[in-house]
Amino acid sequence: MTEVGPGRRFRLLRGAHRTLTGLSPAFESVLAGLVGLLVGAAIMYIWGYDPWRAYFALLRGAYGGSYEWASSVARGVPLVFTALTFSICLRAGMFNIGAEGQLYIGAVAAVTVAMFKLPSGLHLVVGLVFAALAGAFWSLGPAILKLTRGVHEVISTIMFNWIARFLVFYMVAYVLVDPHQAQRTIAIPPTARFPVLIRGTDLSYSVFLAVTFALFVYFLLWHTATGYEVRAAGFNPTAARYGGINIKRTVLLSFLLGGVGAGLAGASVVMGLPPTYAIISGLPQLMNVGFDGMAVAMVGRNHPIGILLAALFFGGLNAGGRVMQFYGANPVPLEMVRVVMGAIVLAMAIPELARMLPATLRALQGLKRLFERRPHVQEGAK
Amino acid sequence: MLALLALPVLAGQQQLKGRVAVVLDVGGRGDLSFNDMGFKGTDEAARDFGLEMIEVQNATAADYLPNLRNLARTGQYDLIICVGFLLGDALSQAAEEFPNQKFAIIDSVVDAPNVMSIVFRENEMSALIGALAAMAAAYHGYPAAGMVLGIEIPVLYHFEAGFRFGMDWGLKKYAEVTGETPDVKLLYTYTGTFSDIAAGKAATEAMLAQGAVGVYNVAGPLGIGDLEAISEYHENAGTEFGPPYYFGVDANQDWMGGGKHGLASGMKRVDIGCYTAVKSVVEGTFKGGVISLGLAEGGVGISKVQDLVDFIQFGIDGGSITCDDFYPIMANWARNRATLPCWIWQAVDELEAGILDGSISVPTANTVEEMQAIRAEYTLGAP
Amino acid sequence: MGDRQSAYFLKAEGITKVYSDGTVALRDVDLEVRPGEILGLLGENGAGKTTLTKILSGLLPPTKGRVISPRGPVRFGSPREALDFGIGMVHQHFALVGTFTAVENVALSHERPFTPLHLEETRRKLERLMEESGLRVPLDVPVEKLAVGEQQRVEILKVLSRDVDLLILDEPTSVLTPLEVDELFGLLRRLRDEGKSIILITHKLKEVGAITDRVVVLRKGELVGDFKTAEVSTEQLAQLMVGRPIETELGRPVELAEEPLPRRLSRAKEGVAHTGPGVLHVEDLVVRGDTGELAVQGVSFDVYAGEIFGIAGVEGNGQTELVEALTGLRPAVSGKATINGVDVLGKDPREIYRLGVAHIPEDRWKLGLVLPFTLAENAILGVHRWEEFRGPFSILRWRRINAHVRNLMERFDIQATGPNAPAKSLSGGNQQKLIVGRELAKDPAIIIASQPTRGLDIGAAQYIRDILVEMRNRGRAILLVSADLDEVLALSDRVAIMYEGKFMAVAAPEELDRETIGMLMGGVAVEGRS
Repeated sequence: MTEVGPGRRFRLLRGAHRTLTGLSPAFESVLAGLVGLLVGAAIMYIWGYDPWRAYFALLRGAYGGSYEWASSVARGVPLVFTALTFSICLRAGMFNIGAEGQLYIGAVAAVTVAMFKLPSGLHLVVGLVFAALAGAFWSLGPAILKLTRGVHEVISTIMFNWIARFLVFYMVAYVLVDPHQAQRTIAIPPTARFPVLIRGTDLSYSVFLAVTFALFVYFLLWHTATGYEVRAAGFNPTAARYGGINIKRTVLLSFLLGGVGAGLAGASVVMGLPPTYAIISGLPQLMNVGFDGMAVAMVGRNHPIGILLAALFFGGLNAGGRVMQFYGANPVPLEMVRVVMGAIVLAMAIPELARMLPATLRALQGLKRLFERRPHVQEGAK
Repeated sequence: MLALLALPVLAGQQQLKGRVAVVLDVGGRGDLSFNDMGFKGTDEAARDFGLEMIEVQNATAADYLPNLRNLARTGQYDLIICVGFLLGDALSQAAEEFPNQKFAIIDSVVDAPNVMSIVFRENEMSALIGALAAMAAAYHGYPAAGMVLGIEIPVLYHFEAGFRFGMDWGLKKYAEVTGETPDVKLLYTYTGTFSDIAAGKAATEAMLAQGAVGVYNVAGPLGIGDLEAISEYHENAGTEFGPPYYFGVDANQDWMGGGKHGLASGMKRVDIGCYTAVKSVVEGTFKGGVISLGLAEGGVGISKVQDLVDFIQFGIDGGSITCDDFYPIMANWARNRATLPCWIWQAVDELEAGILDGSISVPTANTVEEMQAIRAEYTLGAP
Repeated sequence: MGDRQSAYFLKAEGITKVYSDGTVALRDVDLEVRPGEILGLLGENGAGKTTLTKILSGLLPPTKGRVISPRGPVRFGSPREALDFGIGMVHQHFALVGTFTAVENVALSHERPFTPLHLEETRRKLERLMEESGLRVPLDVPVEKLAVGEQQRVEILKVLSRDVDLLILDEPTSVLTPLEVDELFGLLRRLRDEGKSIILITHKLKEVGAITDRVVVLRKGELVGDFKTAEVSTEQLAQLMVGRPIETELGRPVELAEEPLPRRLSRAKEGVAHTGPGVLHVEDLVVRGDTGELAVQGVSFDVYAGEIFGIAGVEGNGQTELVEALTGLRPAVSGKATINGVDVLGKDPREIYRLGVAHIPEDRWKLGLVLPFTLAENAILGVHRWEEFRGPFSILRWRRINAHVRNLMERFDIQATGPNAPAKSLSGGNQQKLIVGRELAKDPAIIIASQPTRGLDIGAAQYIRDILVEMRNRGRAILLVSADLDEVLALSDRVAIMYEGKFMAVAAPEELDRETIGMLMGGVAVEGRS
């Protein structure tokens, strides 16, 4: 065969991709998970730890009993929201990595309810609405930049993440600061907290909100004309335009809905996770919840139901991982635990990453073409 | 040194399980100050008393409470030590849920019968550093002394209050000895962070530009940035020793940067706090409540020759410096200290003695109001 | 390097090319490329011109036959090997890095991976080349800032800098202004006089006469003529290029089942006179192409109810842009277009569909379908907001949709496992039937069909054609754009021939003979027509 070099390489890539994606999803996930566990075990073995005992600790710490289950679920709750943020936008053809920043802003908005009094329940709802609106508001920036100036969302969301980060640093240090405990903001009063579901655990009623939101997103995307438009635009923007779908509308909608998700993620952390119910300076509870959500989304195959399962898995890794630190005679230090977690997550995300790549590239090219035509649009309108 | 303090222990009055846990804050190991000191003190106590020690780190602040719960649930630990005020909220919750578990916390007060709260009188050592800085500035003809602080939390008010008192005392002493009345201002900044090293550097640069004789680091890792700014200042000026100086905190940081610029450190012996807590459990004297450690208890202090020797050894053991660095650091440090006359060092000793015998009482502050009162009393150049 | 002494530089013998999907692109073609000669390669779309040049330049291996040089058979592993041998090709779409300068682009094309770029050497070489060839381009401006003609010159310089003996140009004039065309031709003549071989791929008859020494005509994969340009007339070439009509059974009525299409479809419009504004009325429409050129340059026509109005012409002469402008996918620069009297320019596709427009797009993968979607999801593209499919809160009524899809599958004979089969699992013919079914279900007043049978097997193509005729018979207006001349001529009641953004003629098919059509398609105006 006479074939150009790059072409041949691309074909090889596509072949590998087809092999990877041809498997049944469940089998594929299990296989990927096993590979991840094996790699993690190898790493621990090389560094002189006992992988067998460590994994036993992980499993017991994650799903060994009702306390462990509750901890795992509680860890997974914020991740459900941020994973949905990423997935909604990916379904709409965009690589939105702004959940991190929107989450910070949402958390700050939720904390502001500590400044006034409302009856129990209503106070909580007001906090959630604040957080959702704030998250959506923060996603508006990248959305508008994309729609009016064609700024790529990866660039703009990264920038907005940084702006959010420092803005929230400022808010925490100077505006919402607790005068008695300057390392954190004022705490959200009990009237606006998610009640703890199982005493003595971190699990609060926020889990129901997470499940509801996931089901809502599923219903919206697969059972309404609006969601249909979002998905069509995501897969093939040119065909969507041909089908009379307003791409700008789907872009805006998915950004906003993603922002709502991220805002709720922030609320679920500060209103739903004991004991602080406040943002600590340096945002140590919020840091990376947005980015971890992307990994959850990929393991959950960007489907709301898959995301619920993946979040449970990630929550388990998180809850069980920390038990690895103090289990047995030669416990695994946290740094090593995180390396092992990284290996498992990466292995589980690879199939979906491989699947996403061509689709994302296609969608990006399509969108690029669409927005490149903009100048002519204005000309034609004259 | 700590080993000398340990008494041979027979099986305690109560049945010991033989295990202690130390929970570090998100800063984690390797900060060469707070967390490392907490680890060191617990580790030494565990070895001296023949206990098994376990170290638990936290990836995020959301892990504090689950980790405390996980440890307490096992019921296998004689004592769980929380290093740092950031764990305060989580500990008050966990202490309530596990009333039979003994806890200790460094730097924060948790009001529960099963929690030993260990706090330090940082104002006392800061007064010594303040006096030294003020006299050094006056001696070298510098118009100011600097202080780079972290987040404006009550613990840091102890430092500021002590430093202000110390500067005031030092200036009076200087006037008394030399007959001149020096005009030395205090420059201080709350950077709002305990982790952004660049913020420390920037704040220090600004203070040096305004003529600060040195800066007192009251923000943990930010000291690395402070020292960097000071070293660059020396490079640009072509000087090797002398002002501007670096004043370390928590651990003895005099040896950092080859010992050239670290004049003295306000040491806060977190290790001794942890050691004390473990010891009390082993000896059966553990009880809830606040334990305050100051100069008298050896919980705080200003760095001396012997401390430097110990800490260089600590650094060599930890692998951050080698044995070959020992004498060069000692030599540099000695040359740097020699840039001040002996009487100033003696004056600092005098202040220390005064605090120890109770003839001098260093004020402190725990709230904004108290802090403002002290700022009003010791204005140090502020209008 | 080729041997200048022999009579030929490269010879193709008995080349047959069958693509993996069974398409026969070339059938037993012999061709001789001689030094010091400009060879025109003439043919319609799909005649095999590009395939032949790709085989000559080593991009594709022939299925049968061989390419030989005076030194023996040649076989290239890559275009680079072909370049080393002395064969360079300038494609229609330039292979330039937009943010690089001409020097950088040329240097880049010379280098192997992981070797440094020799920019200074390249610059000296380019300056010498520009001196010799008279071909001037700014060397230090990023090429994306250059005019299209200048970019093409960079491409040519890039190839010339490799000291090629055979230069292949694929439709080089399609992007150039007339002045730039003159300059290009001057250059080509100079190169010929230096002894180089040049192959010019074109469908423009004028160009063949103006520049070539010899001309080869390809039709449907076969070489149907090889002449000295001076010895052949434009009329002859036109006729050869278009060929004799192939006898196909067209226009027979089709059975569309008892209650054929959704109820609203069986309403026929009758007795509409072919005067005054038609269902579709277009006046002086001007539209820009992707690169900003005027792709449609003032076109006016009407499509009346009960007729098929065909647009013939070689692809790339503005048909795509015309259709896109009418369906709201591309803005117009000026002019007017109405459907049933309502202005459509500046409206979005959804508003235009509401006027009763069905659009069978030319690219069913890019435009017509969302391939990862299921059959059912694709069947409602564009009608997904219709009340039949959408309940309160914009909830999709999947049961009704699935029923609708089963109905379509039955009526349009779509072979698929069910409504939930992914569209990409369907064959091309079934995909096209799905699109046609979906569009006709809109009960359109006008059907705009662009290349509706491209790439389909004979049976499916025939089926689609039959449906179009049936819809015409039921009184719909149909605008048919096709590069398949036989199809346009057989189906259309009136036909327009489009060349470079303009209609060369509008007439009933029987009024035009093949020769005239070939001339018009090649851009040669015929007496008495405008």
